Amino acid sequence: MGDDRSRILELLATGKITAEEAGRLLDALETNPQASPEAGSLGDFADKALATASAPKFLYVKVVSVKGDNVNVKIPLSLVRAGLKLTSFIPQPAMEQINKNMAEKGMSFDFLNFKPEDLEELVSSLREMEVNVDANNGDTVRVYAA
Amino acid sequence: MKCPPYAVSMRIADDERTKFRMWFPVFILWPLLLVFVLLTLIATLFADLFTLISGRKPGYTRFLLGVVGVAGETRGTEVFIQDRSNNGRIVAFTVR
Repeated sequence: MGDDRSRILELLATGKITAEEAGRLLDALETNPQASPEAGSLGDFADKALATASAPKFLYVKVVSVKGDNVNVKIPLSLVRAGLKLTSFIPQPAMEQINKNMAEKGMSFDFLNFKPEDLEELVSSLREMEVNVDANNGDTVRVYAA
Repeated sequence: MKCPPYAVSMRIADDERTKFRMWFPVFILWPLLLVFVLLTLIATLFADLFTLISGRKPGYTRFLLGVVGVAGETRGTEVFIQDRSNNGRIVAFTVR
């Protein structure tokens, strides 16, 4: 339990979670019977909450050109999540057409078998993603999630 | 599900001098939005009922709720564009 407490405090110190979220997690840690010293790990709720809290919240796109042009875009990843959930309402024939067209472009992605768990995994793995483009003329493009 | 955005701000400036600034309190439109969503909800519930009777999978109500959810998730979106080749034009857009 001590490790879990340290993990929560570490996330708070690094600014990945707010004081309120840390408080909720610590409460969950104390009240959840699974989070006993014998169990040695966080309970289900706290584990899920911790995973959510440490997941990236925003997708950033930053473009800086040598001419002085700048583009900064910050998009909440929850918007991406909510938008992708809406794909389940696309009729099957249209979805098959999307899959076919994407496969033709080299992206074999089956939207018909897209589950909410996959979505969460996709969003949380975006933390590892970072695109850095440095052009010859000095222009830079950065795409990352944080 | 988050509540819908309460404000949208937009700024357009040339050479750092603000030419146009708008802060629109979207929360003023919430009652209108609520009425619209409730009316649409009634329609979608009927549509789902008829879809269910006809033996197909209903989804209109879930779609409506999904759209409302997407609207709520736009909170926090920020766009900043600075174009030096066009008198240093700055366009900034924020949804709160």
